Amino acid sequence: MDSLIKNSETINRLLARYGVKFGIYKNGEFKEQLFPFDSIPRIIKSDEFAYLERGLRQRVDALNCFLADIYGKKHIVKDMVIPEEFIFSAKGFLAPCDGVCPPKNIYSHISGIDLVQSKDDSWYILEDNLRVPSGASYPMIARELQRRGAPDVFSNNHVVDNRNYADLLKEVMDNVNTGGINVILSPGRYNAAFFEHSYLAEKTGAVLTTGKDIVCENDNLYYIDYNGKKQRIGAVYRRISDEYLDPMTFYEQSVIGIPHIFEAYRKGNVALLNAPGNGVADDKGIYYFVPKMIRYYLGEDAILMNAPTYLPFYDEDMEYVLDNFDNLVIKDVAEAGGYGVVFGNSLTQEKKAEFIELLKAQPRRFIAQEVIDFYDLDILDENGQRVPRKADLRAFVLTGSTTKVWPSGLTRFSRNPDSFIVNSSQGGGFKDTWVLSR
Amino acid sequence: MGIITVDKSDHLFWLGRYTERVHTTLKYYLKTEDVMLDSDPEYYSVLCQKIGIIDVYGSRENFKKRYPFDETDENSIISSLNKAYDNAIVMRDYIGTETMAYIQLAIDDIKKAEKSNSPIVDLMLVIDHILAFWGCVNDIIDDEQIRNIIKLGKGVERLDLYLSLGSSDYEIRREYSRTKGFLKKSGLRYDESVLYTIDSMLDGSDFNYGNVKNLLRNLIQG
Repeated sequence: MDSLIKNSETINRLLARYGVKFGIYKNGEFKEQLFPFDSIPRIIKSDEFAYLERGLRQRVDALNCFLADIYGKKHIVKDMVIPEEFIFSAKGFLAPCDGVCPPKNIYSHISGIDLVQSKDDSWYILEDNLRVPSGASYPMIARELQRRGAPDVFSNNHVVDNRNYADLLKEVMDNVNTGGINVILSPGRYNAAFFEHSYLAEKTGAVLTTGKDIVCENDNLYYIDYNGKKQRIGAVYRRISDEYLDPMTFYEQSVIGIPHIFEAYRKGNVALLNAPGNGVADDKGIYYFVPKMIRYYLGEDAILMNAPTYLPFYDEDMEYVLDNFDNLVIKDVAEAGGYGVVFGNSLTQEKKAEFIELLKAQPRRFIAQEVIDFYDLDILDENGQRVPRKADLRAFVLTGSTTKVWPSGLTRFSRNPDSFIVNSSQGGGFKDTWVLSR
Repeated sequence: MGIITVDKSDHLFWLGRYTERVHTTLKYYLKTEDVMLDSDPEYYSVLCQKIGIIDVYGSRENFKKRYPFDETDENSIISSLNKAYDNAIVMRDYIGTETMAYIQLAIDDIKKAEKSNSPIVDLMLVIDHILAFWGCVNDIIDDEQIRNIIKLGKGVERLDLYLSLGSSDYEIRREYSRTKGFLKKSGLRYDESVLYTIDSMLDGSDFNYGNVKNLLRNLIQG
């Protein structure tokens, strides 16, 4: 491990060399920034990973069942397991998707599940990301570079190779491909995750496109080459949000979408990864019901726990939230990326009173969670000293002919000692995640 | 890979042009620096005139600061490098991360050179990275058409600059011959009659550089 630490600067230099960056807008100006990398890995033991793997597969399988049900017969609502208010009022529920069955009935092909480990070693699910979860490319390339920078570390430890992510992703695309090429649809160079889009295109052999070269004709999607020749597209790994995907069906002002792509998808002529409409299942309000979904669809108890969560929508939970406000973290279900998160104890009396009024007026808009005492991970500070910081883990679960968990993940950490917010957009860094083979 | 769209061919072509622009103008800049040392301190204005940029520099010192390093100067070497990067970054899936890395390294090193005590020596690293980039184009990119479009861009830019800088007839003919080979293998559309006219001009014992330069601009069709 010492050689990894000693080579920390070298690895960061190599990451810069290979353009491992993310984009952010500051004061209306686009800037590319290096994603700070900490060379001390998160280490997950083999048996612990086996447990996580079982839990994650179970969770994603149930979420896929839920999506098929919600856009199909809606049994879970009819059986009153989940109140309909949480489905049809969710921003992520898309009416045009109702009754549409994606190829092989898979909705969430690439799921990013965020977990944290508490100080008693228990793992908790923090949130499910089933729309366009990003981040796998960073540990993938960091591992490649660390193996060059500190080879002895990898010959002396039994670390499962994580460089197969692109193969897993290709397998998932090929599995649902309806006949034609695979493409990765990116909003373009100025998207925060453009490095990842282009890197995954390179590694999977899919064509990277911003959609300008794609047309939809007779409900089929084609990629047009220099000479005007058309190549049919069978699968689109789209890295743009649902609302911008097709101006004819969703947000009509979208200039980054592909007109009529949804129609081609609806007719089964192209696979979209992930399927549009998945936002209904990764809504923070729906998160509360995932253990119930697992029981309902799979007849099993959830292996992985949710963080203790309360829905102010229910009177009993509202009462608890008001009584314990200072000990809870309140999240706006419509927000993401670490935004819309309020720690009860951080508010002044005046702000707290204002917030409680808002909570009472819009109880469906918020969830409240117990603050989990994260297990801190060591990082190297600017002086090269080990210091503890809050960190989470984004696990990547890929659903093709079976559901597989990538034996690695993106460990994000907060660089601020007083913060729980680990998002890169808010200054966080990342680590590699090692899964030990024995 | 095998699928080149209009947009992608444009990025590849300009990637070739801008990397070559960096390479040749930087080499010429280093020569100019040498002349300015003890022969002609105002020689930078000759460079400006030859490559057709307005001399906004006013002094040798200002030229040395701005021409290689000023990102706000459209004609600077770093601006050409940034444009090469802009074209490369959207083609990572075609040219590969290893190839792209040399553009990134060139940018990092030109920025270091600006703050260096010996900028000339550090600028030589930028030339090294561009040469390594072309090495990767040859070695790593499997698709022949992709390679040929990049090399076509490189050849067109080199010819354009050599004609401007007054290189020898031999050098012009040599670069033209190479570029014509890339053009034919690139799969891009071009004007046969323009090609024929340039061929005829270069076959003669004497030819007008300005006329060839103008024809070159109309060779490749959009």
